[in-house]
Amino acid sequence: MSVLEVRHIEKHFGATRVLEDISFSLEEGQALAIIGSSGSGKTTLLRCLNFLERPDRGSLAVRGETLFDAADPATQREAEVRRKRLHFGMVFQSFHLFPQYTALENVTLAGRLLAKERADYKRDQKRILRQIEEQGKALLEQMGLSDRAGHYPHQLSGGQQQRVAIARALALSPDILCFDEPTSALDPELTGEVLKVIRSLAEQNTTMIIVTHEMAFARDVADQVIFMDGGVIVEQGTPEQVIVHPQQERTRQFLTRFSQN
Amino acid sequence: MLTTVTLTLLEGLVTTLELFVLTLVFALPLGLIISFGSMSRFAPLRGFVKTVVWIIRGTPLMLQILVIFYGPGLLFGLPLLPRFTAALASFVINYACYFSEIYRGGIQAVPRGQYEAGQVLGMTRSQIFFKITLLQVVKRIVPPMSNEFITLVKDTALVRIISVYEIIWMGESFIKKGMIWPLFYTAVFYLAVNGILTLLFGWVEKKLDYFK
Repeated sequence: MSVLEVRHIEKHFGATRVLEDISFSLEEGQALAIIGSSGSGKTTLLRCLNFLERPDRGSLAVRGETLFDAADPATQREAEVRRKRLHFGMVFQSFHLFPQYTALENVTLAGRLLAKERADYKRDQKRILRQIEEQGKALLEQMGLSDRAGHYPHQLSGGQQQRVAIARALALSPDILCFDEPTSALDPELTGEVLKVIRSLAEQNTTMIIVTHEMAFARDVADQVIFMDGGVIVEQGTPEQVIVHPQQERTRQFLTRFSQN
Repeated sequence: MLTTVTLTLLEGLVTTLELFVLTLVFALPLGLIISFGSMSRFAPLRGFVKTVVWIIRGTPLMLQILVIFYGPGLLFGLPLLPRFTAALASFVINYACYFSEIYRGGIQAVPRGQYEAGQVLGMTRSQIFFKITLLQVVKRIVPPMSNEFITLVKDTALVRIISVYEIIWMGESFIKKGMIWPLFYTAVFYLAVNGILTLLFGWVEKKLDYFK
């Protein structure tokens, strides 16, 4: 069974149709790269998955559970959205770290807040909080940031900030980790260190959706590639099929223009 | 003589400081509530709140003090409020409106991404407000708030219009005796209070300097 099943998603902003009939599925442990020019709807699609936008049509299901169905108001209750969001992790283009917290606090904050809802929290508070703290430290170590745990975001480089943001998203163990152009706000020097981290996550079979402009990276890391243009999926398949041997004229144009730049 | 004047002025200073502190105690939280109203997604509420803020900020505080003190009696035949209460009520309403605009500016200056980052991490609205937004708002509003606090200390002098005996009233009472220096002396008290406030705000600003 697929981890994620997206069916016929459609989204309008006013009169503008941003997404049209988007359907795809994602298998456990796979990495999906979404490519396409700016304004093609890639970011909006990710935002729909994270419930930051609400699709006008279509449905999405994780591990067989329908999380959202535009036709079924019962799936849209505000109170449940918060829990449903936790199936997805989100790494934003411009990091959005919390400036008043250290790197480690950024990673552990949400976990500490969620822990308060646990039935055994009162009884086991100390142990639970220590566990969260240790997990946070381990994640920062995995990101190569052990020595930066006590630093505030403004004391970190862009690449380091983005790696903290990745650790923060991983801390809640989402089923699917989403990246929204994770390196677009970074200069080329810092891009590499972030891509390296994402690559290692792919090697550990983390289920991921990566919106990216890094074609070479998408080709190497992704198991599946979707090319979007004008709010529709023009082509999807393996990196070999979509990036190396595209069938559609529009995909070819995009890739040619891309390699020229 | 100096002792007599000092004691008299200190008596006025107590009234001044009472008004200052009580205004803050009520107006700071009320201003936050008003700012939520002025940012409400419910248009009629937003419109109402914005109109009230416009009226309060658009008319003199002096006029508001007079209206609140004399208005209920002259319009509805109600008994007069105690003078200090009427003065306090006008200050609270007036300052809450100013504070609400400062809060609104501070809240809206927090990037949208901060809310979204909290949302995708499964935080509730109130967790996002208290754990993420609030401190960032506080950091942003410290400089404009320090202006308002200092202005408030000086504005308290207006309540003499309904015979609340604050410090300048006390200083002025010596003019009958041919003395002008007690008036100048009142300035020393204002400078001292505002000096302390300036230091305090400087300290808070420094405390919040650890993040950007």
